[in-house]
Formats: sequence, C-alpha cells, structure tokens
Amino acid sequence: MKLDHHLRPFRAALFLLLAYGSARAAPPPVDQLLDTYCFSCHGERTQKAEIRLDQLDELEPELRLEILNKVEAQIFFEQMPPKKRKRQPTKAERTTLLEWISDELEKHGASRLKETLKRPEYGNWVDHEKLFSGEYAHLPGYTRDRRWLVSEFIFDAKVNDLIDHPGVRSIDGMKRNVVGDNGVNLGTRFGGHSLRQSITNPFLLPTTIGVRYYDTTTLTGGHLLTMVSSAKKIASYMSSEKAMKTYYPAMHRILAMELSHRDTLRSREQFLTRHIARILRDFYGHENEALLPELIRMEVEEVPEYTDGKGNPRKRDNVGLLARYDPQDLDAIYLGVGLYKRDDVTFKQVIEKCERDWFTFGIHEKRIRTRIRIMKVLDKQWDMARVYEDIRKKNIRPAPYRPLADAEMKVIAASIRKHRQKGDRYRWIIKKCQADWEESFRQYRGAAGQASDEQIGDLVVELFSKIYEREPGEEEAREKVSLTKSYLKTLSTQEAIAKLIETLILSSELVYRSEFGQGPADEHGRRKMSPRDAGYALAYALTDSSPDAELVAAVKEGRLTTREDYRREVIRMLARRDQYYVIDESVQKAGFNASITNQPIRKLRFFREFFGYPMAMKVFKDDTRFGAGRHDGTVGRLIDEADMLVAHILEEDRDVFEQLLTTERFYVFHSGDNAVMQAASDRLRTIYDYFRKHDWKSFTQKQLYDHWPFIQKMKMRGTVFADFETNERRRSGWIRSFKRTMESLELRLGKGQGNANPYDELPMAYWHKGNATGRTGQVMRAHEVTTYFNIDYRDWDYPATQPAKIPHRKGILTHPAWLIAHSLNTETDPVRRGKWIREKLLAGTIPDVPITVDAVIPEDPHKTLRQRLKDRTGDAYCWNCHQRMDPLGVPFESYDDFGRHRTEEKLEYPENLITERKKAPLVNGIQVAVYKSLPVETGGVLDGTGDSTLDGKVRDTFELVERLGKSARARQSILRHAFRYFMGRNEMLSDSKTLIDAEKAYLDNDGSFDAVIVSLLTSDSFLFRKAPAQKP
Amino acid sequence: MTIDRREFFRRTATGTAALALTPSFSHLLAEPGQGDAQADVPPHRFVFIRKSNGNLPSQFSLPTFSDVEKQKDQRKEAFEVDLDHHELPAWLDALSDHKENMTILHGISMAVSGGGHYSFSGCMGAYKAGRNTISGIKRTTVDFELAKLFPSPFGHVEVSLASGSGTVVFRSGIVSGFSAPAKNQRNFCYADPQTAYDELFKSVTNSGAVESENTLLDHLHGQEKKRLPGLDGEERKKISDHVESIRSIRTRNENVASLAKVISKNLPKIDPIHANGGPNASLLEKQDAFTDVLLSALISGLTNVVTYTIDDLGTPITTLPGNKGRVDLHRLGHSRDLKLRNIVKASHMAQVAKMVTKLKSVPEGDGTMFDNSTIIYFPETGAGHHGPDTEAPMVVLTGKNSKLDLAGRFIRLPFYGTENHKTLSNWYTTLLNAYGNPIDHYGDLDLVMTRKKLPQKGAIDRFMT
Repeated sequence: MKLDHHLRPFRAALFLLLAYGSARAAPPPVDQLLDTYCFSCHGERTQKAEIRLDQLDELEPELRLEILNKVEAQIFFEQMPPKKRKRQPTKAERTTLLEWISDELEKHGASRLKETLKRPEYGNWVDHEKLFSGEYAHLPGYTRDRRWLVSEFIFDAKVNDLIDHPGVRSIDGMKRNVVGDNGVNLGTRFGGHSLRQSITNPFLLPTTIGVRYYDTTTLTGGHLLTMVSSAKKIASYMSSEKAMKTYYPAMHRILAMELSHRDTLRSREQFLTRHIARILRDFYGHENEALLPELIRMEVEEVPEYTDGKGNPRKRDNVGLLARYDPQDLDAIYLGVGLYKRDDVTFKQVIEKCERDWFTFGIHEKRIRTRIRIMKVLDKQWDMARVYEDIRKKNIRPAPYRPLADAEMKVIAASIRKHRQKGDRYRWIIKKCQADWEESFRQYRGAAGQASDEQIGDLVVELFSKIYEREPGEEEAREKVSLTKSYLKTLSTQEAIAKLIETLILSSELVYRSEFGQGPADEHGRRKMSPRDAGYALAYALTDSSPDAELVAAVKEGRLTTREDYRREVIRMLARRDQYYVIDESVQKAGFNASITNQPIRKLRFFREFFGYPMAMKVFKDDTRFGAGRHDGTVGRLIDEADMLVAHILEEDRDVFEQLLTTERFYVFHSGDNAVMQAASDRLRTIYDYFRKHDWKSFTQKQLYDHWPFIQKMKMRGTVFADFETNERRRSGWIRSFKRTMESLELRLGKGQGNANPYDELPMAYWHKGNATGRTGQVMRAHEVTTYFNIDYRDWDYPATQPAKIPHRKGILTHPAWLIAHSLNTETDPVRRGKWIREKLLAGTIPDVPITVDAVIPEDPHKTLRQRLKDRTGDAYCWNCHQRMDPLGVPFESYDDFGRHRTEEKLEYPENLITERKKAPLVNGIQVAVYKSLPVETGGVLDGTGDSTLDGKVRDTFELVERLGKSARARQSILRHAFRYFMGRNEMLSDSKTLIDAEKAYLDNDGSFDAVIVSLLTSDSFLFRKAPAQKP
Repeated sequence: MTIDRREFFRRTATGTAALALTPSFSHLLAEPGQGDAQADVPPHRFVFIRKSNGNLPSQFSLPTFSDVEKQKDQRKEAFEVDLDHHELPAWLDALSDHKENMTILHGISMAVSGGGHYSFSGCMGAYKAGRNTISGIKRTTVDFELAKLFPSPFGHVEVSLASGSGTVVFRSGIVSGFSAPAKNQRNFCYADPQTAYDELFKSVTNSGAVESENTLLDHLHGQEKKRLPGLDGEERKKISDHVESIRSIRTRNENVASLAKVISKNLPKIDPIHANGGPNASLLEKQDAFTDVLLSALISGLTNVVTYTIDDLGTPITTLPGNKGRVDLHRLGHSRDLKLRNIVKASHMAQVAKMVTKLKSVPEGDGTMFDNSTIIYFPETGAGHHGPDTEAPMVVLTGKNSKLDLAGRFIRLPFYGTENHKTLSNWYTTLLNAYGNPIDHYGDLDLVMTRKKLPQKGAIDRFMT
C-alpha cells in the first residue's frame, strides 16, 4: 500500500527522523483515531510505503506539512484507510481527523486541499445534503474579490471589437451582425478574414465535459508571449490610416499632417501611374520619343495545345477559371487586349504592343514574362471567342484623363523635368519624383515639431476608452503620455502610437475581469460589487461581450446598485432576441451548418458544456463502420441539431431539466424553421407529382426538354446550363442526373409518405442553395444524419414539423451526439457514461483512477463489451469505484458507439466476420460489415437519488432517464453545476441559501431556467464580495 | 537511447520551475541549450518540408530496381535496398551526392490525418484537422514537440508558400500557420522571405524596434509591479505571474540580442525583389530566399526546428520553368502530367540539396552541422491529390549523429492494414522517442488497424539505434 508516490522524495528524510523518540503531535481524540485506523500500517511496527505517522511532530516543518497535506487529501477523498479494510472510520471520526489536520495546516497557511477543492472537478465534494438541507441557509453568501482571467470567448469578442471584425451572417434571409464570428468564413479554404485568423487566442478553456470557465486560472508566460504577437497585429490595425480616419479622431489629429502628405503623394502617384505617358507627351512634345527607353524584348517559350484526358486537343472555355490568375496581371492583359485587339491586329501583335507598354512603364521583367506567358496560354489553349466576350463584359479601360489642380500640376511638371533622364522607364521617373516629395514633406513635418502633450493626452483618453472602456486616471494619463514620447524617440509617429496600443493590450487590465467590492462592508465583512464591475459581471454572465448600451447607462446613472436593479437588467437581457450569436464555428464549418441562436449565448452554452455533446466531433470514427458516407461531415449536423433541441427547450422555458432528460421529440435533418422545411418537402412533391404522370424513365433528351418550362420554374438542378440545347456533353449528363433525382423521389414519396425528406440527391457545392437551405442560407448537407437515429434517409416519411417524436429516443442522453461524445473510437464507453450521470446528475464523486490500475477492458471475441467490462471491474477492488459508474452506464449499451439503437451487439473481431462491408446489405441507410452478435443486456441500477422510490434496478435506458427526470437530486445537481457556471467557482456551504433559492425559483416558475438564472444573479453569492484574506 | 519521464521533464523546458508557463510555449522562453543535459553536445535540428498534391508512389520507384524488387514495389510488399547500388529517379538528381544520408521512406500511412485536398495541421500532429478550425487542432504538433526537446530563442520557425484564400496569389506578411504549439492553438508563419528576414533578424537589423520593445516591457513590468502591494493570496499570484512573465520575455529578448554577433555573421543576403512581400518574385526565387533565411536562422541558433510549407494547391506556379500554362497545383493534381509533377518535385529537391550542402559546410564539434540535422520532405495528403492516404512516400535526410537507423536506403514498410504496418503516428513517435521524448504513442490510432485488431502503438523499432 502506498500513501502516495509523490512522497518518495521525503522517505529518506523521514527515516532519518524515525530514530528520534515517539512523541505524538495530535491531541488525544485524534491520536486515538490515528492509532485505530493508521498506525497499524504507518506506525512503529510497520511503515507501509516507508511512511510512519506516529512521529510527525519531530519532522522538519516543511516535511511535516507536506505529509499532513497528503494525509488530509487521502482522508478527505476517502482513499485511506484502504477500502479493503473492514474497519472504516465513521463520518464523524473522519471529520475529527480532518479538522485537526486542517487546523494544523492553516496555522502555516499551507493547506493544499483547500486549493484543490476550488478546481471544477472537485465541486461535488461539498456535501450535497448540507447544501440543500437548510441547515446552513443562514450563512451569508459571498464571492471573494477577484480578478478573473478572460475566457477564450471574451477574448475573441474583445479582439473582434478592437479590429472591427465584420461578424455578419445572412440569417433567415437578412444580413445580421453576429457575435462569435471569429473569421472562420464558409467560403474560403484558409479561414476567411486573414487578420482575424492570424490572431491567436491564448485563453483557451479546458476541453473537458462540464463547467469549464473558472476563476482559478492565472496568466502565464505562454499566454503573454502569444499576446505579444497578437497585440502587434491588433495595434497595427488600430493605428492604420483607415482605422484612425474612421474611429480615432485624436489619433488622426496627431497624424493629420502626415496623412495629408501621404494623400498628396498617393494622389500624385496614382495620377502619374495612370497618365504618365500622356503627361510626358504633353511636356516634351516631339522630343518625348527620343527620351523613351529602348525596348528589350522578352524571350518567352511557346505553350503547347491543351488536351483532354485522352490526349485530344481541346479548347478551354470556363472563363471563370481565369480568375485564378493574379488579378493585376489579368486586368493588365484585359486592358491591353481591349486597347489593341482589332480585326486587323493579330493576337501576337497585341502581345507585342502590351509588352512595349509594360516595358516602357517599368513593369518588372518577371511580371512581363508572366503576363506574356498567360497571353500565350490564352491564345493557344483557350476558346478566344469566350475570352473576348469576358473581356468585353469586364470592360477594363484606361482611366479618363483629368488633370490635377494647377498648383499640383506645376509641382509635378517641375519634378519630372528635374528627374527624368533619357531612357528612364516611367516607373523610375515616378519613383524619383516621389522620393523627392517625400523628403520635402518630411522636412516640413520636422520643422513643425512632434505631437504636443495635449494631443497625446487626447490619444491616451481615446485608446483607454476603446480598449479598457473607461477614462484614464490622472497619473495613468501622465505615464502613458511620457511613455509615448519615449517611443517617439526611436519610432515614427504611427509606429509609436501602435506601440502604445500594444502596451495597453498587454496590461493585466485587459486580460483580467475585475470583480471587487466597493463601499462600506456589512456586518459580515461583505461589500457590494462596484457598479462598473457589476455591469461587466452581469454582461459576461449571459454573453461574451462588454455591457450593452442599457447596462452602461444603468451604471452611469446609478441604477445598478440594488438587487432589484440587477433583477431588472438580468430579465431584460434574458428577453433580448435582437442579437444573434454563432454557437460554434467548428460546427458551422463542418457541413455548412447554421449553428446560430438569438438567445443569450451563455445560457445555451451552459447545457452544451454540461452535457458535453459537442465533444462528439472530437471522437475519431471510422467511416467504414459508420457505413453511410463521411461521419466527420455528418456529425457536425448532429451537434447542430442537438443545439437546436436544447435551444428549443430553453425557448419554451418550461420544465427545462425534465424536458432535457426525457423529451421524445428531436430535430433530425431540420433547419429549425418548420415552414422552410415544409416548403422544401412540398417542392419535391410538386416535382414528383408532375413527372409521375409521364413515362419519365424512358425520357429521351428531347422529351425531357419538352418540360423545360416546368424545370425552369422549379429551378431543378441543371437549369444553370444556359447551353442545354447546344452542349451535347452537358445535356447527356443532365438527363442522367434528372433520372437519378426522380428515382430518389420515387423512393421518398412512392410508398405513400406524407412528406419527402428534403435532401438533395445530387451533390451540391456550397454556393448552391439546394432544395432545403439552413437558416444561414447554405444548402443543407449531411442527410445521412438520420442513420444515427436508425432512420433510412432515402424513404423516410419526413416530419416537416420538428422537433418530432423519434423512436428509441428519450432525452439528451439518448441523443446520438451525447452517446458519441461519451464513446471510444470503436466502442461504446459505459464507464464514462455512468461517470457522467454519477457526477452531473447525482452530484456524486468518483476518485481518480489509481495509478496502479491499467484501465483497459480485455479483448474477448466471444463476449459483449458489457461482459468484458464485468470481467475487468467486477472484482472487489475495482468494484468499489465502478459500482458507482458501471450500473448507470450499461443501460446505454442499447446504443452502439455511433448512437444507433441496437438489440444485438456485433462482436467486431476478424474471426467473427460473416459478410464484408462491400457485400453487406444496406439497412436503415447504412452498409457495414456483418459480424456474429450477441443480445444486448440493458438492465442497470440507479442509486444515489436519495429517493427510495426512484433508486433500484432499471429495465433499460428509458426507465433510467425517466427516473432521473423525476429526481430532485438530479435537479439539484444540475443547479449546482449552473451555480458553478455563472459564478465561476465551486459552491461553499455559505452558498446554501443561493442554491435553495434557485431551486425554489425553478419550482415556483414551472421549471423555468430563466428563473434560475435570475435567482443566481441576484443572490448574495453574486452580489457580495469579500477580500480574500477575510474568513467566512 | 532511452529516457524516462522524469528525465524528459527535467531536460525539456516544461520542467523549468522558475516560471509558470503553459506547456505549449515554455520552450520559447527557455535559455538556449538549457534543456540539454550535455551542454557541449550540439542540439539536433529538424526541417520539416510539407508539400501538396501528395507524393505519387510510382515517382519514388528506383529506375534500377531488379524485376523482383519492381514486383515487390508494385505489390506494395515490404523490402529495402541500399541506395548505393541504385540510380535515383531523375527528379532526385540534386541529392545524388548525398545518397549516404538519404532515405526514401515508403509505406507510412497518413489515414490518421486524412487525405483530402488538405490536411492542414493534421499531417504534423497525426490527427484529422477537419476544416482547419481552431477546435480541430487536437494536440501539439510534432515539430513543436521536438522544439521543446531542443530549446532556442525562437523555439520554432514556420514559413509557408501556401496561397491566400480562394485565389492563386502568394501571401505576404505574418499569417496563420499549420503547426500547433498546443491543442487548439494555431501557430503563425512568415509568408514571404522578407518578412521572415525582418522578424527573425531584427535584433541586428532594426535596433529601433528592439529598443522600443524593451521600453514597452520595462514599462509594463513597472506598471504591473505597482499593483502588487496590498495584494495577497491568489490575487497576488495572478499579478506576480504577470510580472514574472514580462520579465521572462525581456530575458528572452536579451538572449536573442546576445546572439547578435553570430546572427550578423550569418545574415543572409536577400534580393530586393522580395521587398514589400515580393510581388514580383518568382516561385523559385521565393523558395530560394526562404531556404537562405531558414538556414541562417538554424546556423545562428535562433531556432532548431523549422517547418516549411513549400507549396499548397493554390501556390502560383506560372513562373515555374518548364510549366507550359498551368496556373496552380490544384489543376496539376487533377491531371496526369507526371512531367510537371517531376519538375515541381525537382524544384523542391534543389532546396533540400541547398540545405544539406550548406549545413555540411558549417563546422560543428568534430564534424558539421548537418551531422546533427534531420530533413523530412513529405506530402500533406498521402499518395496523391485527394490521397489515398494509405501511403505517403517521403524523403528523409539524416546526419551521422542521427538517432535513427535508416540512412542510405530505400525502405518499403508493410502496406496499410497489414501486420507490422506503420502509421504517421508511429513515425512521429519514432522521432520523439529517438530524441528524448519517451511518449508511448504520439498521434491518433488508425481505425482500420484498430478494427483489424493489429498492434499499432509505439515507435518503429527497426529505426531506433
């Protein structure tokens, strides 16, 4: 037996000390308990794991405290005495021991258990009965004063605000600003907005299932190092000309002269770039020709014909692909062709004329070469009629000549005359002029002097307002002005401003939320949060953004001081539906799902994290075993629809916990908009009903074309081809796709189904709308999602109104997303499923896996997983802990690791293979290998509800979740987790009243979760703060 | 070489107790050479060169294979031959003088990272990265893991010639990269040689920037320190960690500054064509300049690990000599144009050869810097444009102090889904184990191997010296 393997370093020291007497440190009652329960293994005669506890007072203080810390943890978590010992201390005895050790450690401020218990995974160690019994309801609730490191979501929102990131989505056909768009754009390969994507978020929350955002994390060097690089990018944007002109007047004032100079330079450069040929002709007249550079022609090799896959010459005609060339090259070519191509001018001559222009202008040799090569490719490989048509459409022309103001023209003329040399290319001339002007502007600015203190002070105020959302104090302002001036010694003005912005971003003020009490303390030493801190605390409780305008106004006007003020604002924010949020960008991107909500995002996020079903995306699954296409592409829809279900229940806000645990209605291949889904289904029926009257199976191309008006009206796939009548190749392909569509519709409607499943039979690129579109306007993909629910998507009688009753399902715990999230790569995971229920719904505790245990279920091709698990965990040692998990998890064996319902478990071992996948039948839309199987046992045991009418054996999953849905313990357990989520910490006994009130609010308001939130955010635990040093 | 976990943590910067650091970044702030138990032993350098469009197995067959070898190769049966006795495919000509250091490694599968058009960070971390979302980044990528073993001021440097969004245009500046310093963390990378040059060598090329950076850190340090009085317990720890973090970054800057002399000595010459992102620079010029910058960074000791995305499907190839009209590699991937594929690969090999030659010219210890270097040239998507990911031929170059026993050979490992097959995870586990990370298994498990109940964990024993 080992006390703890970490103690090994201390053993040698311990042994040295054992030589000294046997005085004991503990008072008599404790000493008696140690004698009874500990000394037999860690005493004079025996020192298991080389540990002796009967001489603690003789150890060096550091060593003694280290051992006491370990002993405290072992006793608290009931890991000692060992379970196999028959004689165990009573609860009271354990408490006596713990109190003594705790006092000993507290004397030195050395208790580690206290810190350990602050971590999320130890939340349930606070006695549940004590919390809800009312015995401790008189204790005054509070949260300690704290800085709380921003979450990944708050950081993202802040970054988006600082860089003015355009978070826009088309939702229900309208453009809307969304919170939570972090640059993962649907239409681009590398994640859309490049600046946004290049900013790394260092404040990632743990990816565990359960409450993730706690106040215990501190900023580290890693965070800060990442912040350094992100701060540079943000500062670079904020100090950019565009940003300062639009958003930062004080900044703009400092740089006004420089920016005006830059505008002038740009204007001159643009003017010269566009018109220098004409200007030179005007200035130099007939002498101009002699001053031009002598053309040196490029040797560019010829390009071959374009051939198809069989080597036959072909002309390329999809001019859309030309957009793949660098736009500046393509535009230059189009301009040249537009200028020079005439009937009597060959393309070769056009190339020569373009080359001359580009050479004379001073385009880089390599770029000229590239352009000539492109032109040769066009000439040789492309259908030039189409290219010319494209050129005509784009209509790129030289900019019309409009001279600048006289004074400017004089400056330009003088400069050109000063700098132009014979043989100069145009760009060289422009460059020389620009350098000259730049220098004179620089000298002018130098003479005018740097920004004044007042100007810099205004800048500091402006930046504080944007970054910290407050005004600077006098000393702060002075410091920052001084700092800016020191930056100006080595940097340009714009760079110095950027550096100041970096400095502000890297301050602890930006990365920590501040929640401190203010004003006089009450009789319990508690103070109310300052109104400003309270504004942020409330805003961040429900959203990821800073306080909204109403909340800011309430703070400013002194209307955020009382409990009623808090209640008013919380109720108002909960009712808001005018702000949309992206729920999860990775879900959006995996299959172009909508993943949006207009409920305050943190309400939904609580249940996402509590249930953990989004983790389904992280579990690597084999498509071969999925059997219905690509699991990776489908599981995103599954999670999106689980989110929709939770959002739906939250919107109804009635018996929320019971509904989540026992609802029989689900979303399956649905956008959440019943009208849209019905219309999509109706459209398919219209098409089917129209063509079923005809012998469509025998249609020739010509006969199909007779129905062109209907096809066009219904926008059936294929109408995009304007050249249907002339393009033989596409036409023949299209009739195939038509028949494939009709065959699919026959399956979907031919058996008398009420509605057709509105999926697209033909694969559609994301830019197509598809038959049914999600709420953000993308085609709805991944109809194979039905197969997780044992539904064959091909002939499903589609319920257009959802959520709808789905067989074999009851509550979120039977949702395939939850089941997958709590599964392994190729197997189910009854242990984790049981652990989840024990911890999340029964407020129970499970000790960590002992380090000596190899937690692997043995393989056996003749047994079900349940049987193999029993072989592994059934012995007394393992069962001590596993009895708290396995009986709760095994009923879920009626679902496989993809969440599909089953009555037989396949024994997936090579020796049990009956039919290979490719030869296996398609069942419920899936084709997977057939193996020998055994019946699934679904019985389990529920215990720990504290209710004898609910505890006991359960027949199957349904009975288990039904009983959980009725359990007060489950309700209270969810409330405890909600408390942690909204408070950012574990509950203490002094939070007892807060929890009891939250439960009462839930029950008194017909199971409203909004009522729970209001109760929590107006509780003493939320309102009142105490300095950390003060004892409760 | 074996190493236990305690030793591993002691030797890597993750074990440094001076500063609380997230494990992902700790190596960046470590002292150069700090993690190495034997300070006089030079660090090992790694260069990962990622390329797109897969590597077609047929291109890796040796032209002088015997009939039996040819048959085995075509049947994808395991075998190996000495490169000494064989000619190389023409596209590998640039490396013909380095056969003794070279391995053509065949038979590693990439199904764990997937083989569509892109695998993003997945091919560096042996996981499926989905659509390149942050949440798809499953773990620290192998290059960052190796960087922890051989700390340096920059820790890890990533450069990329991957194209911009939706267009066929070179990117420039500092952009998002493909490697990952930690789970759910995306690295940044330099997208053009001039930016890489400016950022990596600014301690000697831009004193104003360095000075202002230090002013910033000093100011922050003072400002945060002022908050400390009156704080106790956790609140004090939060602020003191902040103060300590600032100090560490300042120290790291000083470390870089201390390398000024060696950086100046090895400063690469960069052509003016690369100024302002190098809009006129050709593909080969960009590749060449990147190689120069990376070599200088390695030789100066600024980093020991480099990841270089030498192309992706959108990288413009119009300027590539021998290309007769193709715009980008995506179209090439859909064609049967083996000739151009060979040209592309040959251009890559020219860069690899340049690296090997240069590193062999730099004395180090009793030999050269190349003795302590490993270069891995590999595809991001397996054996073709859309995969298959069942195999992923690669070229590996190792110096004489390599901890891997594979140089000088063409090695074909057992094919995917068969006994003794090795996955990308096994390959990366091999690298990590060999150089001091005792991890049991790095990367995801392959699900076909799992389904077939075939053993698949751990390093590739035969490569371990």
